Amino acid sequence: MNEHYEEKFQFPFWEMIKKRAEEKDISYSDAAAEVCPEYCATIRYRDEEWTDAQIENREAEGIAEVQDSNREVIAKRQAGK
Amino acid sequence: MSLEEFTKNIIETDLLVIGGGTAGCPLAAKAAEQGLSVLMVEKSNTERSGNIAHGIDGYGVFPHGISIQELIPMWSERMTKRNQGAGRNVDENIDYMIFKNEWWAVEELERMGIPMKWDDGDYYWTPHMIHGKGLKLGLRVHWHDVKPKMARMCAERGVKTLNRVMIIDILTHNGAVSGATAFNTRTGEFILIKARAIAMATGMYCRLFDPETPLIWKYKMRYHYNPATCSGDGWAAAYRAGAGLAHMDDASWALRIRDDITNSYGNFVNNDGILAKQYYWNGKPASPYHANTYVGNREAEGLGLTPIYQSLENLPDDFQKRLEVNFLDERMVSLKLAADRGFNPRSHRYEMMSYKPLQMMMVQGISVDEHFQSRHLKGLFAVGDCAAGVGGAYGACTSGLIVGAEIDKYISGAAEPVLNEEKINESYERAYAPTKVKDGTEPMEMESAVRFICERYIGSFKSEGKLLEGIRRFNSLKREFLPELMAPNPHYQMRALEVKNIMELAELHLHGCLNRKETRGNYVRLDYPEVDNSRIDRLTINRIENGVPIAEKFLVPALKPEYVEALKQL
Repeated sequence: MNEHYEEKFQFPFWEMIKKRAEEKDISYSDAAAEVCPEYCATIRYRDEEWTDAQIENREAEGIAEVQDSNREVIAKRQAGK
Repeated sequence: MSLEEFTKNIIETDLLVIGGGTAGCPLAAKAAEQGLSVLMVEKSNTERSGNIAHGIDGYGVFPHGISIQELIPMWSERMTKRNQGAGRNVDENIDYMIFKNEWWAVEELERMGIPMKWDDGDYYWTPHMIHGKGLKLGLRVHWHDVKPKMARMCAERGVKTLNRVMIIDILTHNGAVSGATAFNTRTGEFILIKARAIAMATGMYCRLFDPETPLIWKYKMRYHYNPATCSGDGWAAAYRAGAGLAHMDDASWALRIRDDITNSYGNFVNNDGILAKQYYWNGKPASPYHANTYVGNREAEGLGLTPIYQSLENLPDDFQKRLEVNFLDERMVSLKLAADRGFNPRSHRYEMMSYKPLQMMMVQGISVDEHFQSRHLKGLFAVGDCAAGVGGAYGACTSGLIVGAEIDKYISGAAEPVLNEEKINESYERAYAPTKVKDGTEPMEMESAVRFICERYIGSFKSEGKLLEGIRRFNSLKREFLPELMAPNPHYQMRALEVKNIMELAELHLHGCLNRKETRGNYVRLDYPEVDNSRIDRLTINRIENGVPIAEKFLVPALKPEYVEALKQL
């Protein structure tokens, strides 16, 4: 269990926010507002096919929690209703 | 005795908004746009108050790609059946009103300067984890600094905001609200408010059980998902004034995470559709039954399999980066704390707390109809988490905007507010009595005692003996220590009032649990393991009628025929 704890991690995003705040002498909040779109641009948010595939992979591991009424709605959508 | 003899600070307003959080701010701003004089009173500061004080990363569940007709039962199943069990637990007409107006609410928020779109200028719809891929019902938002924006939108529209002011009591006249008593939590000044209508937006009631983590000082930044200010002040004040409170005998589904650092109430990348894995302490995968239900978790405890942990290990780097952005939007300080403390989300295993009792449920609150007006007290409106059956940022903003848009109709016909001196005096005594006590009981001591009684004698698994002992100890606390509650300064005075509100609501919960003899959903009476069919589709409403506290079983309304017809046209 210990391998899952107490390992310091330098969040790249947080490092970017701190650096921007120091460079421009602005608050972390203001720096975050500037840095966030830059960081988000490196993330595949709009790649729905890829994202859906990752979700499917996770579901295939048997830990999905989709409830029954959702399955019915999804099934209807897939049947084109 | 004239009003001026109580205080020189007497304020008159059309609308009094109590609570400047997620629901209160949009409500106040919208009402001000209708030309009303609006006074918003906030116990802390509207720039960083309420459930989204630090921010939030997700807004909604929307009828996006599905109809409202499909969404209502789906959402009911997700939010109430798994917790409250079989039967209709929320007024479906409230769901209808919120879902029907959600798109309008988004446009209103954007018009008022609240960003709803993603960085690329378009809406970003997310696959909420329990809906699975193919259904994208959630709107992903960057709201880490939404509260300062909400405070600004109120100021721009002429809302008069009193920060660091706590409401003591609601005042009534001829069965309708007429104003409130309040005090400044920094100066101790007593304040009288005359109002034609009151909108209660004080959020949930949370400080009933022990906190989730044993963190100390700078890390004790919040009480699970809600801000530390959520002591049920609005619910208690409304109850004392004659409004009904719903589901006070009910139990909550526990928030998932007992860990020190989290950015959301469990399932971190919830808004990107990926589920966390769950492990027993020995590293073996945990069953959903053991991890996600009270009774299952109790079984796991008995088998020596707890604690149970959640993990985001072995995710693609892209999702780990999404998690960082989630951290920013929900609670930026978590990034700093996590980096300071030695925490790596890529390998950390988060302890879960399914076994823990928690008093925070969407179904609970001030009983309102679908126009968010109290069913029992004229002129009182309740929105957001404060209202029974309303939840989430989407529920708070939408209900707040609806009331803000429509409340002028009530106000235009409301009588001139009249304040009752006898009631003012009672309220004053209640709030200021602790300031006269020396060497008494500190409010946090009292609160710790109340939380211990609730944790030990109510808990997740209730039974007659424990509940009776809890009531006995609670009565002892009231008799011996409540008169000795002391407040050497206005801040302590606020804490003392909070404790009194907490105790009032705790008492309703204790007695409610004793009277509710069944097991259903997450409500477990070990001595009554079966469902009480007389309670299906009904909930308990507690209120005071002619000075007598009563509890009644209320038939939860189904969707009205006119709304069913209207949905067919949409």
